[in-house]
Amino acid sequence: MNVSKLDNQQSSCDDTVVCLTDINVVYGNYVALYNINLDIYKGEFIGICGPNGSGKTTLLKTIIGLVKPLTGEIKLYGDNISEKIPKEVRFKFGYVPQFAPYDKNFPATVKDVVEMGTYAKAGLFKRITDKDRNKAFEILKLVDMEHFVERPIGHLSGGQQQKIMIAQALAAEAEVLLLDEPTSALDFRMTEDVMELLDFLNHTHKITIVTINHNIKLLRAFTKRIICLNKMISYDGPTSDPNLDDVINKIFY
Amino acid sequence: MASLADFFVALGNPLMQRALITAVIIGIIGSVIGVFVLLKGMIFLGEAIAHSAFAGAALGILLGIDPLITILIFGVTSAVGIGYVNEKKVMKDDVIIGVVFTFFMALAILFIGLMPSYSTDIFSILFGNILFISIENFIILICLSVVILVIVFGLKKEFYLITFNSEMAKIAGIPVKFLNYLFLILIAVTIDISLKAIGAILVFAMIVTPAAAAYQWTFKINKMFLLSIIFGVFSALFGLLFSFLWDLPSGSTIVSLTTLIFAVSFILSPKRRKTGIIPEECGFCSQTIAGKTYCLDENCTHLDIPHKHDDEGLIIYKTDLKPKKEKTIHKHTLKGEDS
Repeated sequence: MNVSKLDNQQSSCDDTVVCLTDINVVYGNYVALYNINLDIYKGEFIGICGPNGSGKTTLLKTIIGLVKPLTGEIKLYGDNISEKIPKEVRFKFGYVPQFAPYDKNFPATVKDVVEMGTYAKAGLFKRITDKDRNKAFEILKLVDMEHFVERPIGHLSGGQQQKIMIAQALAAEAEVLLLDEPTSALDFRMTEDVMELLDFLNHTHKITIVTINHNIKLLRAFTKRIICLNKMISYDGPTSDPNLDDVINKIFY
Repeated sequence: MASLADFFVALGNPLMQRALITAVIIGIIGSVIGVFVLLKGMIFLGEAIAHSAFAGAALGILLGIDPLITILIFGVTSAVGIGYVNEKKVMKDDVIIGVVFTFFMALAILFIGLMPSYSTDIFSILFGNILFISIENFIILICLSVVILVIVFGLKKEFYLITFNSEMAKIAGIPVKFLNYLFLILIAVTIDISLKAIGAILVFAMIVTPAAAAYQWTFKINKMFLLSIIFGVFSALFGLLFSFLWDLPSGSTIVSLTTLIFAVSFILSPKRRKTGIIPEECGFCSQTIAGKTYCLDENCTHLDIPHKHDDEGLIIYKTDLKPKKEKTIHKHTLKGEDS
């Protein structure tokens, strides 16, 4: 099944931003990810699909070190990540969670939310600098949301909120974006809006993008490489491969 | 009834000066901590801490030591304990808070029952008396308040991000777990040092109410802090003044005043108006239905963005109408769309 993977099984993780080797993740007695081998190269736009409970979110969390694998090796930018991810590597990864609408009255403006992306980099007990603020505003322009700078985050539509979350992830100068179903709960138009933004970031700014999405049609339209997950990688390859349909039929039905 | 002149005469008394400074300090720390307590939705947790602190006070009086020591021990322990159970997610937090909350009350009553004679100290801890703050307690109050303020404002941005989205904070590398515990301890210490002045039953109002009133007015965190402090200090000062003028219990006067501020804020809150924009201002983006004008967009987004209207005057996708700066060069084909 794992044909395309087998060819470069022996690859030495050169030029990869993420390189997972023989990763197994368990929660208690329960296997979440089994024998994962995965290379992600700079500038790729990858879609991850798979049924609920297939380990998609766990895969993303394993990459950024939130979940510790039982066995296996993780390399980020060629560095072996055993214990703690070094700061300069961590900030290259931005994460956008599933869409969850914010409290309408939460006291945070769009500007605040994007600037939050720079907080961790500034460090404890330190203020963010004007440079950080300018950077945040540049990012806001990049995602075409600069008109909303003073608007409370809760007063945006779902798609707009997700764009702001993407901006927040980018504000720490991320080069890789990991998105966990960024468009679930969004309508067709908003979904396309968010995906087009990702596409723009990928093409124009060479941001590596890994997005989980249930909508295979959408992934086919926007990504070049699809990974189908069902605890293990059941498909990893181009979107055009006819094998993909078989795999999807197998794991979903 | 005392007059205002009497109040200023009384201010010559060191006891009264101490009371005044205590009131102001509690007004400040309570309202600062309160902002995050409110935004994090930890209100009942604070209530439980206040009651555990009361049990601590009862034990202190029973043992004949300074209650502040046992108050701090009980308050901090229960805060960390509840935090631990919360973190492990073994049960919903309201269950554990409910259990702990009543248990500490039972413990307090038990300690009071064990006392050989009825103590007036217990009464003063339950209902508070800002005029009877000992000099030692006063110094501790000032020192701990400075520590609390330095930590909260020093780590403001971290607490803010955790409050907004703790998952993203964790991923960004912020020590979320540590900061959550630290915050619980800060709440406990704030409650504990305010306990004697305001009283175990009322002390939590000093944390929740000014922040809740400030929340009604603004969408900006710094403004919320500022308003919360203003409301807290104002009600502490004037509460003390009124309690002096009309010989009222200080704690309840202060709390009543913050509640009044909250009620007024709630009624006048711009957040409670349906939208911040009057339908007439919506221009093209409004529709008249049954003689009344309504905005088509809940938040009147169009006021910020250049937009167009279709033949019927409706705006549909405003963001898309804005000219994009750089169009992506390649074309998408929706493969599988018709298969």
